[in-house]
Amino acid sequence: MDPTSPESETRPEINPSSAATNPAAVQPIKATPEATAFESTPSSFADPPPERSNSLDELTHDLSSLHDLSTRGQWEAILDKISQSRALFLLTKPHEHLTYLTYQVIALTKLRRSDEASHELNSLHDFDGEHYRYESFPEIYPDRKGSMVPFSLRWMYALVPTRLGNRQEGLDRLYTLLDFVRERIKEKEGNDDSVELWKKREIFVMSCLLGFHLGHKEFGVSLELIKELIKRDPLDPVLVSKLGSVQMQFGDIEGAKATFDRVEKMSNHNGLVSETQFKNLVGRNKALVHVVAKDYAAAVREYEECIERDNSDVVAVNNKALCLMYSRDLSDAIKSMKSVLREITLMLSRLTTRRFV
Amino acid sequence: MSTGATQGPHSLAFRVMRLCKPSFHVDPPLRIDPFDLLAGEDFSDDPTSASLLRRHLSSAEGVDSDLSYRNRFLINHPTDPIGLSGLLLLPQSFGAIYLGETFCSYISVNNSSTSEVRDVTIKAEIQTERQRILLLDTSKSPVESIRTGGRYDFIVEHDVKELGAHTLVCSALYNDADGERKYLPQFFKFVVANPLSVRTKVRVVKETTFLEACIENHTKANLFMDQVDFEPAKQWTALRLHDPSSQHPPSSDLGGIIPNPPVIIRSGGGIHNYLYKLVPSADVSGQTKFQGSSILGKFQITWRTNLGEPGRLQTQQILGAPVSRKEINMRVVEVPTTIHLNRPFSASLNLTNQTDRQLGPFEVSLSQDESQMEKPVAINGLQKLMLPRLEAFGSSDFQLNLIASKLGVQKIGGITALDTREKKTYELVPEMEIFVESD
Repeated sequence: MDPTSPESETRPEINPSSAATNPAAVQPIKATPEATAFESTPSSFADPPPERSNSLDELTHDLSSLHDLSTRGQWEAILDKISQSRALFLLTKPHEHLTYLTYQVIALTKLRRSDEASHELNSLHDFDGEHYRYESFPEIYPDRKGSMVPFSLRWMYALVPTRLGNRQEGLDRLYTLLDFVRERIKEKEGNDDSVELWKKREIFVMSCLLGFHLGHKEFGVSLELIKELIKRDPLDPVLVSKLGSVQMQFGDIEGAKATFDRVEKMSNHNGLVSETQFKNLVGRNKALVHVVAKDYAAAVREYEECIERDNSDVVAVNNKALCLMYSRDLSDAIKSMKSVLREITLMLSRLTTRRFV
Repeated sequence: MSTGATQGPHSLAFRVMRLCKPSFHVDPPLRIDPFDLLAGEDFSDDPTSASLLRRHLSSAEGVDSDLSYRNRFLINHPTDPIGLSGLLLLPQSFGAIYLGETFCSYISVNNSSTSEVRDVTIKAEIQTERQRILLLDTSKSPVESIRTGGRYDFIVEHDVKELGAHTLVCSALYNDADGERKYLPQFFKFVVANPLSVRTKVRVVKETTFLEACIENHTKANLFMDQVDFEPAKQWTALRLHDPSSQHPPSSDLGGIIPNPPVIIRSGGGIHNYLYKLVPSADVSGQTKFQGSSILGKFQITWRTNLGEPGRLQTQQILGAPVSRKEINMRVVEVPTTIHLNRPFSASLNLTNQTDRQLGPFEVSLSQDESQMEKPVAINGLQKLMLPRLEAFGSSDFQLNLIASKLGVQKIGGITALDTREKKTYELVPEMEIFVESD
């Protein structure tokens, strides 16, 4: 992708019909009535007030709209918007192309079109090259230095091969990404906010790797990774509970119990989870210990308390039904799942009607 | 289905689901931190830009309803990318069954006919080559009725103790709508394989026996070795030898959260080695016995797979190398502190009978071996000494006059005791070292 010549941005139309919509409707700065031209799904959304949409738009053309669409899961709409913007040469700055490309790759992957996502990624130059640095365009970015590549794009570059069944390539790229992040942490020493951000990214990549290894039951590596994560935040009850779950998964019951006991004794001062969420976490951990001991009745009681505290605790709901089945109570298991599904459906229909107003 | 011309189609049918322990669902999601998407990775290097981005982001956050998609796209908690929510999953397939595990199954018998069945006697058995084991039998209190579309469920468990083909036989004896008494047998076959093999090696170094055991995992799952215990036979005491460098002390600053590396043997051929030191245990009378038996002991192994699903096995008795215990033990007990070259000195010796019968009389002399080389220490004076018979487990102390013909550190050896009755020769244990000084 060559940022200096916009002509090269014309991509094969993903949704040819959208190119036929009225180009005059596309105005970058106003509130987004034109966004409805891109909607491929019937459910509309409430237009954000003009002052809000301007804020993110300052960073990149129409970014607030992209952000909004992504948080509503409207991936087709995002793809339409991207091809529209490119067709009409609305992206004038190099970083805008990269941001749009990132959204495109994410949308395609979410829509399970990973081969197309891979194709888009192949069009990129080397991430660490001159093309993607602010200082290469001093007239556009005066006084700004560094890489304009959104970190998510690097991550997608590593993730997409795994979605195409090439796990080894994906893992290699993730480990390379981890090294890259660790280099950046060293480099940015002195700039506390920056270091903080890159440390978050380190945790992000390590967590991804942990998920991959755990999914393949590679427990040795998984334990090493979770150790590293815990060293960075030993007081996070959610993280330590995950250590307990990993121990339980490979069969170290006594170790898991000890870990869950620690979590129970932790106070929830770091504020990452609400008081209810913390109580439910502890409750679910206790229930797991009962499941292992085959005391399904006790496990069901714990899960019921969790559900009473928070009826959107889907893990408690699911696991309670599972316990009912193990207690030979298949009918009650089915009944309880059905009732929760009914409630969720009701909530969803209330949600959509509200949005139409 | 139907087993004879007289029986029409059955109203009942059995359905079986293996109910081993559930596992955690691991599903790494595609979730983003908005700071990683909305701007370049180095955008926030400049503090003004960083606060600008933060402000824009917080103003873009709308009021969320609980079930908005936002919670499924943006990261809520830093550990979200792991994809370990705690959701449990039922076993997705029958899987493999191994010796030492517990076979557990959910069995449902359902009435798919259009009318009620009555007086249902249900039986579940495991049939192997050697035996038939009853798991459930409702004949004493039959199920009164199963309505149309209805079910009767039960869970059975069986500790698997045999290898090879097993059949779960489920049968129902019931009265159908026409009052006809019908019999439905259904057969569910599975094969039990060997999960582990234990290879042992025994080495004897001086008085100590070392036992090395190699456990190999033949299953399709990684096995967590919960307990591997060697139970020695009563004439032995066993001590497990660990490699001290592999024991990591729990990190003190983290309060021991981080567990020690567990022993997990990889599936499909992974191995782990265990080393034990065995010493003869002192018997009641305090004497070491001469044992003919070479049984060392056996292993008790407990392993676990997901959510602690256990398996237990015991090995056969492990045999050691035949213990070559000497019937007669002759040793030098004491020598003078200073020994000079070519000057005779007196050494105290002890001859012990380690058997449970009388032996001797004995003739003690220098051994007559082929080597013509002069021994560094020889018997001075009378070349033969006679010792009387020794009782079972008896011992006798005696003196020998010796002379050293070489300087420096020398071993006293080459002295034998001949049992004149049984014509057996016993060598002096060449342990004692002396320092020979010049005149």
